[in-house]
Amino acid sequence: MIGNLFTEAVLVGILASGIRLATPYLYAAIGETFSQRSGVLNLGVEGQMLIGAFAAFFVSFTTGSLWLGLLAAIISGLLMGLAMAFVSINLQAEQGISGIGFYLFGLGLSDLLFQKMLGTVETVSGFRPIYIPYLSDIPIIGDIFFNQNILVYGAYLLVVAAWFVLNKTTIGLKIKAVGESPEAADSLGVSVARVRYFTVILGGGLSGLAGASLSIALLNVFQQNMTSGLGFIAVALVYFGGWRPFAVMGGALLFSMVNSLQLWVQVLNIPIPSDFAVMMPYVLTIIALVITVQRVRPPSALTKPFERGH
Amino acid sequence: MKHLGKILILLTVAVMLLAGCGGGEEEVAAPEVFRVAVVMPSAINDLAFSQSMYDALSAIQAERGADKFEFVYSESMFVVDDAAAAIRDYASQGYNLIIAHGSQYGSSLQEIAPEFPETSFAWGTTVDTFGLDNVFAYEARAEEGGYVMGVMAAMLSESGIVGVVGPIETGDAKLYVDGFTAGVTATKGEAQVNANWIGSFSDVALASEAAQTHIGAGADILTGTAQMVVGAIGVAEENGVLWFGTQSSQTSLAPSIVVANQVYRWEVVLKEMISLIEGQTYGGQSFLITLENGGLEVEFNSAYALPDEVKTAAQAAIDGIVDGSIDPLP
Amino acid sequence: MTETQLLPSGKPIISQLEMLNITKRFPGVIANYKVNFDVRSGEVHALLGENGAGKSTLMKILYGLYQPEEGQIKLDGKEVSIHSPVDSIDLGIGMIHQHFMLVESLTVAENVALGLPSSRGFLTDLDKVSERILELAEIYGLQVDPEAYIWQLAVGQQQRVEIIKALYRGAALLILDEPTAVLTPQEVDEFFITMRQMIDDGHALIFISHKLHEVIEISHRVSVLRDGQMIGTIPTKGATKSKLAEMMVGREVGIKKDRFETDTSEKRLVLENVSALSNRGTPALTNVTLDVRSGEILGIAGVSGNGQRELAEVITGLRPVTGGKIILEGEDVTGLTPKQLMNRSLSYIPEERMKDGMIKEFTVAENLILREHDLEPFSKNGLLNLKTISAHSEKLITSYNVKTPSQETMAKNLSGGNIQKLVLAREISRKPHTLIAAQPTRGLDIGATEYVHLRLLEQREEGTATLLISEDLDEILALSDRIAVLFEGEVMGVLHQSEATPEKLGLLMAGVVE
Repeated sequence: MIGNLFTEAVLVGILASGIRLATPYLYAAIGETFSQRSGVLNLGVEGQMLIGAFAAFFVSFTTGSLWLGLLAAIISGLLMGLAMAFVSINLQAEQGISGIGFYLFGLGLSDLLFQKMLGTVETVSGFRPIYIPYLSDIPIIGDIFFNQNILVYGAYLLVVAAWFVLNKTTIGLKIKAVGESPEAADSLGVSVARVRYFTVILGGGLSGLAGASLSIALLNVFQQNMTSGLGFIAVALVYFGGWRPFAVMGGALLFSMVNSLQLWVQVLNIPIPSDFAVMMPYVLTIIALVITVQRVRPPSALTKPFERGH
Repeated sequence: MKHLGKILILLTVAVMLLAGCGGGEEEVAAPEVFRVAVVMPSAINDLAFSQSMYDALSAIQAERGADKFEFVYSESMFVVDDAAAAIRDYASQGYNLIIAHGSQYGSSLQEIAPEFPETSFAWGTTVDTFGLDNVFAYEARAEEGGYVMGVMAAMLSESGIVGVVGPIETGDAKLYVDGFTAGVTATKGEAQVNANWIGSFSDVALASEAAQTHIGAGADILTGTAQMVVGAIGVAEENGVLWFGTQSSQTSLAPSIVVANQVYRWEVVLKEMISLIEGQTYGGQSFLITLENGGLEVEFNSAYALPDEVKTAAQAAIDGIVDGSIDPLP
Repeated sequence: MTETQLLPSGKPIISQLEMLNITKRFPGVIANYKVNFDVRSGEVHALLGENGAGKSTLMKILYGLYQPEEGQIKLDGKEVSIHSPVDSIDLGIGMIHQHFMLVESLTVAENVALGLPSSRGFLTDLDKVSERILELAEIYGLQVDPEAYIWQLAVGQQQRVEIIKALYRGAALLILDEPTAVLTPQEVDEFFITMRQMIDDGHALIFISHKLHEVIEISHRVSVLRDGQMIGTIPTKGATKSKLAEMMVGREVGIKKDRFETDTSEKRLVLENVSALSNRGTPALTNVTLDVRSGEILGIAGVSGNGQRELAEVITGLRPVTGGKIILEGEDVTGLTPKQLMNRSLSYIPEERMKDGMIKEFTVAENLILREHDLEPFSKNGLLNLKTISAHSEKLITSYNVKTPSQETMAKNLSGGNIQKLVLAREISRKPHTLIAAQPTRGLDIGATEYVHLRLLEQREEGTATLLISEDLDEILALSDRIAVLFEGEVMGVLHQSEATPEKLGLLMAGVVE
């Protein structure tokens, strides 16, 4: 029965669904990559995603405009990022704890707003798959890659953009320097605080987008705690990918594909207990993490607040 | 009104204290306002498990009047420790009945209930009262409605493949899915039921992908249980696949594709508990909601044009389960 | 002479920079009090002072990292305000920090380009930066590969990158904060050649150093700071080491202790082909064979990071060996725990006294019994005997001249010198047979250094076998009977004190075996 897995329909299903499932992880994890590369661990990703998901849903639901919803998600994420930046950079709070604080804040606030402003689970008509002439018609490939909505495409373009920014631009150079050796950057006149504000706020905005990708593109509903730990997995994926955008993408795809594989394993009645099947993506990720973590070093200044002269 | 309530509580407490001091066995007059507190794992508007309890309490309140029946709730208590703290708080505030709406709260309740012998506790879904005389247990015979849904699903499916999205293969969810599968198989022997347990009550994204997977595998009918299925319903609607709901009515989410819902009416058993409590019996019994006692109801979506012969078959299944001629868990 | 003389980098020179009446206070301390200092184009002005004398503060003010409360800075006669490194860089001031300000995971070119506007807007222009680096390297004789990652470079090369970084930004005045501390004698010579080249071209250099002979060799003028105040500025010509030391410390120093003959018949500590790994899992020690005899000090010389730390840790049981044997007083002790080794009368003065030598949050008394707190007379049946402990610490505080408000003071509140005295007291008072002293005077002022040296020589006379690990070649030469040189984890050779010269040792330290 294992053989049932290796049919065209199933493989196309696994790949297409893996690519879709990876979308929210990508936005959140790329945002987190920027922030960690500059030395700030943001554990509040999940909370930022929830706020973003709610903002996107609520604005789309009430105005009927998905684009306004998207904008709302980005803005609310940026504001959450701004708050996180203030707490971690100006107040120099312990980043792990304050991140958890922001997670709980986002969880609670999104739920409260949901109860007060919507009252019940509603649906919106989210972003539809975009037909790309010729590409979408290619057999198999078209189904897998070119039959997705705009936020899915956006997530993968974001990976390329993130790689480009980190490796080819002056701001990328500053981000890496500030995360490795803030003293050195400071001594060359680079404002450590400004760079970190930039990355943490950017990370917040991208987390907001990650939430929007759930609530108005992939699922088209909002429910309390709908991210269900996804934001934390995104943080783990940043470590997994060794703080490099393409490797982070590899991790997100691996995790998502194994997750969609296990769904198929169950649907095809392959005799593996469901409890083991749902463990598969986590177990595989842990194994991969153990293997990769050995050889990658985190940014030296990660989680360390910077103060001149210390 | 509120003041009166407070005064009453104060008076009640005072009377109870006096009674305690006196050491006598005088009967405490039943308070005029019956107060219920409930702790729930998800939101009261989850269109599923928690909402079913909220709706039930609202129904009782509407019937008895807000001045005679009050209830408070703590929702989204997915952290069991937080729930335990809330249960203890409510107990020390003198609520008449405290409902721990989730089987995961059992062990906390087992610890807390003996400390408050004058307070009645209820928990579900289960049949286990721990042998404590101030704990009620309640459970839904979810397989009954599941069976009826299964009968309809089998008749409506053209591909002969039906998909199920569930959280964890246990309790209420397992009963529903088993009944559903039995209903499908009894009606159309060659039909295939694919179940997908996603390991989470809240992962909407994974529930949605599970629905995609079912559709990819050829399913043209879907059902599912627990609050994360809202993601799956969206996918079903997008693909024009029919949906059967359970626990609460999910029709509002996708009126065009929801065929019917099995709706829980906990008020049926709650009313029994309340009258027992008012008669000084604080627990020790377990209750079931069934099609027979009206605690379970199959609610058809009027917006969906259900063929007459399907509706007739569904009604026949309901009747058969009620009179015992059909066993939903063969 | 034209009106604005240009440097080879194309930037104008700074003819004179003056710091006038600079005062800077930190909570509880006056770091600089009405300090005057100036430096001119074409000169090396040395700045001397003990730790905490205020040198670094003064230089950080000049570089814009601190703001003074009072005083002014004049550049070519015009007052300037420097609020951050951006300002100082704009004015043509560069600083080579003692701890290099380099990002290890970036390349040379990336480090140089960091923080500078790019010719391509928001895109980097590393190819152009690399070209310019090569040009500057050509002019100043600072060979470096722009594509190399910093972590791939040796310390001397990293220093070149630091200088190029400053020159690239058009620095006309360079602050060199203890630049020779990390270099071998040969590298110091090369560095001085570069410095002379730079002043010939019209740069102004401020040279901070502890090493008096270097100051005398390279500088034109010397200024000495003590307790935040400027003691004086004198021309180097005619200044002597003892005169400068006296200005620094405020009293005469350098009483030489006579060295007596000792009995060195017993090979007390023997290492046979010992190998070990670093924290990164790379080989740190390879086939190290050494012996330390009773009544002698064996010095271990070498540039930082060549296996010194691992050597000390291997001997004291803190790091496992991957090969070879360690023999203490005739007994194979390979693989024994630190506690077992301590019971065999081995004492250890660790390199990081604040981290490994002390518990900062413990009191002086507690720190003094760290090693033997569970033994009688300090404790019995698991209970501490506070009276004995108190008497013991009182005795040590007096005999080791530890300056502390009380024995209940937290160790973290003592100065570096007093903390080291505390460690010495704990480790030496137990009359060890074998003593491992790792960087025992690093960061200490002249007075405290002198004290540590006297105590180590005293141990030698009492017959202790001492292994002295130090990156300070002068210290090694002054104290050791024999000197072993470590390079990349291997022993390059062992020289007798009589045959050891800085030149010979320097070659060995660079891995050159004749």
